[in-house]
Amino acid sequence: MKKMTGLTNRERRGTEDRRSRRALLVIAAALMALSLVGCGSSSEENSSAGASAAQTTAAQTSGAEGEEANAADEETEAMAEASEGSYSIGIGQFAEHGSLDNCREGFLLGLAEEGIVEGENLTIDYDNANSDGSIAAQIMQSYVGSDMDLICAIATPMAQAAYAVTRDTDMPVIYTAVTDPAAAELVKSDGSNVGNITGTSDKLPVEEQLQMIRAILPEAKVLGIMYTTSEANSEASVAEYKELAPEYGFEIYETGIGSQADIPIAADSMIKDVDCITMITDNTVVASLPIILDKASAAGLPVFGSEVEQVKKGCIAAMGLDYIELGKQTGRMAAKVLKGEAKAAELPYELIEGASFYGNSTAAEELGIELPGSYTEGGEVFDSISE
Amino acid sequence: MSTIILGIFEEGLVYAILSFGIYITYSILDFPDLSVDGTYPLGAAVTAAIIAAGLDPLITLPVSFLAGALAGICTGLIHVKLRVRDLLSGIIVSTGLYSINLRIAGKSNLPIFSKDSIFSNPVVNGIFTEGLSQISKLSILLLIVIVLKLLLDAYMNTRSGYLLRACGSNRSLVISLAKNDGFVKIVGLALANGFAAFAGCIMAQKQGYFELSMGTGMMVIGLANVIIGTQLFGRLSLMKSTTAVILGAIIYRACVAIAINAGLEAGDMKLITAVLFLVIIAVGNLKKAKLKASHS
Amino acid sequence: MLCLDKINKYYNPGTVNEMCLFEDYSLTVEEGEFVSIVGSNGSGKTSMLNIICGSIGVDSGRILIDGRDITHMPEYKRAGFIGRVYQNPALGTCPDMTILENMSLADTKGKAFDLRRGTDKERISYYQELLSGLGLGLENKLSVKVGSLSGGQRQAMALLMSTMTDIDFLILDEHTAALDPKTADLIMELTDKLVREKKLTTLMVTHNLRYAADYGDRLIMMHEGKNVLDLKGEEKKHTGVEELLSKFNEISIECGN
Repeated sequence: MKKMTGLTNRERRGTEDRRSRRALLVIAAALMALSLVGCGSSSEENSSAGASAAQTTAAQTSGAEGEEANAADEETEAMAEASEGSYSIGIGQFAEHGSLDNCREGFLLGLAEEGIVEGENLTIDYDNANSDGSIAAQIMQSYVGSDMDLICAIATPMAQAAYAVTRDTDMPVIYTAVTDPAAAELVKSDGSNVGNITGTSDKLPVEEQLQMIRAILPEAKVLGIMYTTSEANSEASVAEYKELAPEYGFEIYETGIGSQADIPIAADSMIKDVDCITMITDNTVVASLPIILDKASAAGLPVFGSEVEQVKKGCIAAMGLDYIELGKQTGRMAAKVLKGEAKAAELPYELIEGASFYGNSTAAEELGIELPGSYTEGGEVFDSISE
Repeated sequence: MSTIILGIFEEGLVYAILSFGIYITYSILDFPDLSVDGTYPLGAAVTAAIIAAGLDPLITLPVSFLAGALAGICTGLIHVKLRVRDLLSGIIVSTGLYSINLRIAGKSNLPIFSKDSIFSNPVVNGIFTEGLSQISKLSILLLIVIVLKLLLDAYMNTRSGYLLRACGSNRSLVISLAKNDGFVKIVGLALANGFAAFAGCIMAQKQGYFELSMGTGMMVIGLANVIIGTQLFGRLSLMKSTTAVILGAIIYRACVAIAINAGLEAGDMKLITAVLFLVIIAVGNLKKAKLKASHS
Repeated sequence: MLCLDKINKYYNPGTVNEMCLFEDYSLTVEEGEFVSIVGSNGSGKTSMLNIICGSIGVDSGRILIDGRDITHMPEYKRAGFIGRVYQNPALGTCPDMTILENMSLADTKGKAFDLRRGTDKERISYYQELLSGLGLGLENKLSVKVGSLSGGQRQAMALLMSTMTDIDFLILDEHTAALDPKTADLIMELTDKLVREKKLTTLMVTHNLRYAADYGDRLIMMHEGKNVLDLKGEEKKHTGVEELLSKFNEISIECGN
């Protein structure tokens, strides 16, 4: 069943009625399934009866929905009247993924900083599309349908789905973890807003990462990057690496893969030709990080991460984004919109402010590499490798 | 609330176009065609590429249909001429199309939000002003689906359509009529994948972007629509199968919407679809077996 | 005129299961002849029909029609001048389509299957006339799906459909075997009527010795890929069921069954 955001364990009174509605809808869905079954087994007359039963079910459902919608309307009105109203936000996340989960966590923290706290004056409806585009659209439609005060879309495809559904409405959308909003046409090419939608970008700090790798490995020449050809964000990141690498004396060795199954072979062939490897925020490749780390450490190659979670798992270092911070930044933007201080259409999208250093001393020691003090002092260093 | 219902109808209508294709292969031709997983995004890729290039969105309609038909012909030729099994032929073509789609679109995610589409252009915006803008997509989709349905119905009543129908239920008869049954299959696959690509074309314009992975599971969605539609309404002799398929697509979307609103996790949807499938088909089969038993 | 010239056909050639079906088998059928073919199981009678229709190929030898070599012509092209009715009534009609649609399909044979209307409304009365000739009342059930008809009704339709357009040969492959005796008699009479009316050159394989004796003007009995009996004209007329049966028993005993 629906996961509530994992942050707080406080009583969520606001969600109680929502839950009972859900129970009702599950029953409705079951009834609908049953009516389908009934038709399969019945004769001609019965099947039309079954069809009308299905319609009745649908009608009941819409009745329930209608009440909910009315309730939401009342809620909105109430909010408008009282200065301290309560808010509802639909959070749609494209995939189950450590960084994206951190985004969501940070988003709620950011809202809380502004006094909008889940369970007190905020109701959250969270759905995960599990990387299915058709489901993403449906999730967004259900948010618009239940008259949320704001939609939060996590990751590029979700943000695009949210934009597609809300274009003709005035529902505000705040996105996060969109690497290149311009390429995704979520902002115009001059950086201005396309609609009542804005958010934060998780563009990789490529330059800082290259600087750091150069500082740790002064001799390295060939830098390996693996990415999935179907992930638009990854292609953009690889292009940026290729553009900036010569400045730092690196040559980029890129390996494109089609699916997770290609990773072991691609890793083997890459490892023979490179001096070190750097990760980018490629969903498929990141999910198979353990395989890459395993093969690289067997060959004595250092692997650099693209965010903190990867360093915890055994990458020696990263100039990474703190997705919790990114989420917080996003949450603060959302709070402004909810409180009426600004419109999503007027807020420009934001890049994360600064990248920070993360190191893993254990992983570095295993390879006989020393992490430079200039980095470790200002950053965060882990001394163990988590599984 | 009305937005949800509107959404169900809009999405349902787009998937109904896809289901016309599946209806041709699965119900009429008895050919389990997996190439739709590749031809649906093919239509979207072609569409996004044309619109991104600044051409008239109307061009996308015939071009995407033709692109899909061409891919369908490939599936047919692989199956008929190279004697590759039906399922495998579809898998080969949809796998190959993955790379081709990427080439056509140029990247795995090609947005066309900022461009004119068949849903949003000066003419449409002129007709559906202020109050009507909410139903503009639905109206256009309804128009497209009804026209396609009538065309498909009309085709099924032509000589060529007769032959296609005969081919699925009795291959020997097609041969007896001095026609090459392999050729008829290829025609059917071309039509079916034309519809699938056309659905992808409409979806890309409706959602405003092409996404490389958007074809995954389309065969299953289309099949669910066809099976729900034909099992629920197929026995009503007054209703045409194509109408039943449209209703099936809308009902299936409604089920998905209800499941999401009820808080079911998206990951569980596939299992629910699978069980729903199994139950509908199994009950249908058991009933048929019963009928047979009582006849003899 | 149909001519099979020194046909050789082996099953599983080159393996231990190699089986010779025909060795230098030749047969000539004159135009307008109605040939009944009987024989034991495995005697090669159905295989011969399959060879003529192109459902199976030959290892060597030629198939000639009016002097034209059709040995390498694909099955569907031969169907242009050969009509065939199978043992299984389901194979000669399309069960998912209505009687009218099936008739229209058969009527379009030899023409282009293009985007013109599948059913020509002006032909409907002609179809009804043909159907009423069957005497089964099908002319009043034009919109009924053929799948819901009985085996006999379907076979009657199959017969009608396969002879509707101009064909040179009619091939009947045990087309009464799956029917009950009464229906079989009806279909057999119908067959004879159609063949006589249209003066069709006909090859009929049957298990029913009575039909073989009563119908047709030539009778061939096959055994192990050879003609053991080939009666024509007066000779055939004077051969009764009993004689055929004794001859048939002879070859069956040789076989050991």
